[in-house]
Amino acid sequence: MRQFVQQLVNGTVLGATYGLIALGYTMVYGIIQLINFAHGEIFMVGAFGGLTVYRYWLPEAWADKVWVALPAVLVGAIAVSVGTAVLMERLAYRPLRNAPRLAPLITAIGVSIFLQEAVRLFYPDGKRQQSFPQLISSGTFEVAGVTVAWVSVFVVVVALALMVALQVFVKTTRTGKAMRATSQDPESAKLMGIDVDRVIVITFVLGAALAAVAGVMQGMRFAQIDFRIGFLVGLKAFTAAVLGGIGNLKGAVLGGFLLGIVEALATQYVPQGSSWKDVWAFVVLIAVLVIRPGGLLGERVAVRA
Amino acid sequence: MKLEKPPAPAAAGAAALVVGTLSPWATFAGFPGKMSLGGFPGGARLFCLLLAAGALLFLLDVHGRRWAALATSAGAVAVVVVNLVALVDQGGGAGSVAWGACMSLAGAGLLVAAAWRLPPSSPAAGEATPTRAPVIEIAAIAAALLAVLGAVVWGLRIEESSRFVSFLVFVTFLSIAVHHLGVFSWLGAVFARHHRIALLLAGAVAVAFPFTQQGNAYWIRVFASIGVFAVAAIGLNVVVGLAGLLDLGYVAFFGVGAYVGALLSNAALTTSNVHLPFLLVVLLGGCIAAVFGLVIGAPTLRLRGDYLAIVTLGFGEIFRITANNWDGLTRGPNGISGIPDLALGGFDFGQSHAVLGVTLPGFANYYYVELVLICAAIVVFTRLNDSRIGRAWVAIREDEVAAAASGIDTIRLKLLAFAIGAFLAGAAGTVNAHVTTQVSPDSYTFLESILLVAAVVLGGMGTVPGALLGSTALFVIPEKLRSFQDKRLLLFGAALILLMRFRPEGLVPSRRRRRELREEAPEGVPGLAGATGAAPGGPAS
Repeated sequence: MRQFVQQLVNGTVLGATYGLIALGYTMVYGIIQLINFAHGEIFMVGAFGGLTVYRYWLPEAWADKVWVALPAVLVGAIAVSVGTAVLMERLAYRPLRNAPRLAPLITAIGVSIFLQEAVRLFYPDGKRQQSFPQLISSGTFEVAGVTVAWVSVFVVVVALALMVALQVFVKTTRTGKAMRATSQDPESAKLMGIDVDRVIVITFVLGAALAAVAGVMQGMRFAQIDFRIGFLVGLKAFTAAVLGGIGNLKGAVLGGFLLGIVEALATQYVPQGSSWKDVWAFVVLIAVLVIRPGGLLGERVAVRA
Repeated sequence: MKLEKPPAPAAAGAAALVVGTLSPWATFAGFPGKMSLGGFPGGARLFCLLLAAGALLFLLDVHGRRWAALATSAGAVAVVVVNLVALVDQGGGAGSVAWGACMSLAGAGLLVAAAWRLPPSSPAAGEATPTRAPVIEIAAIAAALLAVLGAVVWGLRIEESSRFVSFLVFVTFLSIAVHHLGVFSWLGAVFARHHRIALLLAGAVAVAFPFTQQGNAYWIRVFASIGVFAVAAIGLNVVVGLAGLLDLGYVAFFGVGAYVGALLSNAALTTSNVHLPFLLVVLLGGCIAAVFGLVIGAPTLRLRGDYLAIVTLGFGEIFRITANNWDGLTRGPNGISGIPDLALGGFDFGQSHAVLGVTLPGFANYYYVELVLICAAIVVFTRLNDSRIGRAWVAIREDEVAAAASGIDTIRLKLLAFAIGAFLAGAAGTVNAHVTTQVSPDSYTFLESILLVAAVVLGGMGTVPGALLGSTALFVIPEKLRSFQDKRLLLFGAALILLMRFRPEGLVPSRRRRRELREEAPEGVPGLAGATGAAPGGPAS
């Protein structure tokens, strides 16, 4: 039982990262029906952006002051991710807005490969693993026999706060309303005076910012990052988005946590679970799509013709 | 062709270019193509000179060959730039660049400027495709195919990277110029009119290729790998190009075939000791892969297109991880190695043979086996494409709802496409096991699937020449750019982005698709470009 709870906690922490990234997938998909394959790479460059700020720009005197270093790293990560995402949208996706459906997906794969390779080749010593600073004490505490790291608390709290903030933003602000309108019907939204291009950019920006935060969290939890971290995490986050019902913000969060927990439990309880740990996400994905193609919270969307 | 007096900048540019290319480009010796010699127009300088000659020709022609002139002159600029970069990079600084290169650059720039000022050429130069006597047309087909063979052989002989890049630039810009002259669309029409003869001649050219290598095994070996890849690409083309189902885990079917081939051939390091005749193994590999295709396809094919893409990706990963972990069957990460050479009726495929006085290395045998396989795949592909099934696939690709409403059993036909694609990949995989003599899970990564998709998209979706061209380009170019080895993937990613941006229909677009594009263009209705696919929020593909 203790082990079970322990894995639940681990899964929740894992799921917080998936959920944050899944939000980016689900928002972009909701608005332009594009599987932004490169979103995992946005997460990865975010982590590297944070590392760059810490390593090269932060004065040494401040490096161990959490209240300075952590915000600085987060800002750096967000700046790099958002910058990359805006450039990507402008240069790669926007010209293809009206192209056949496969074209942007293949472009997204190209962007993904390009970003990975760019980091590998041009980041100092980028071919190897980079150690990521432990901004928060690596200490742990115990509750009823379950070990929890302080970093994990931070990860889950920040993730939940950001998820709520996003929900409020989309539900209450004017821009959020414009986003919802665009996702329902871009043509009509345009007729209502909404600058659809701007809304799309904002969507990418929001998704990238969340992914950047997730990137920093990932770095802090595992103490190291490399140029490959985006690929699998991105795929799993996409699975989480589909699991929850793509286009649905709450669904992405729910899917993220569920997937994290499934992965943690499966790793623990299935024989030789750890060598199969990357399979579960796909098994879950296929199962969901077969049983409930709309996802857990997704409505059955009529196929628009 | 009515000529007129060349405009002053063109004349000056051409003169500067000729003088520049005849002067040394490098200040000291040791560069490829004898760059430091004067009065020697070889290597990259030859490409530059030829492009400039073309540019001048088009500039002189009053009928406004603006695009052709632009393409050739821009090509000359590109060749000089490539070599400048190479000189600076390899010579250790700007000191190694001689004035000849700078002068050529200036001359080429002047030519571009002159071409830019030409009046716009009449749109769609390829519209008029006059019919000529059949003999002339067949001769044109033969000449075009020989030109392709010549270009390939010439390109393969170039050892050095910067010169090869120059060659690529030369061929690319020359092709753009030729395209704008309407030659390709005329050739396309001619090929369509005499497609049987054209196929026969193309086959002859393919058979002739190993004889051009003078017993050198290296490129034959590379082409033997391409052959396998090409069969898989044709299979993927059925799935992606015809039925419009994006499969991002296609290499898994290839892998299934390879493992079947490896397990049933009595390899040195294997977990089974079954040895079946090769022809049976090929069919069996294909069938088992097809069964996998059905198993994956049955539950997922009722999903929308991009979900399918991700599920197939997931399946690809599951295949790789399974192959990695199932030690009892696949020997895990070590893979199965020591797969013996094929032997059919006493003919050992590993041996080299002398035919017509030319020694053909062992890989040539596999190359010919693959040619047969490719022919079979082409027959399957074209017969399907021209059938009711093919038209139904295209209907599904364009609009699934409308297709279903017209009485097409969409799920069954999509399953069929999936199974046929998987079968071809599986069959190719069994051959590949023998060509590479070992199979291991790392050969079947996501990147390989992407490479296959890229080959199909690069070549042109839904066409056989496209799949062949795409897989050849994707194999040969990286093989040639050894010195860029490290930046290969980066360039590949960038190339995918640029390709989708500027030529999403691929190098050899299918006639059906081209017709759609051409019919739309004159109407000039904004937004109609997306009508064939899906505009954002449009129909599911």
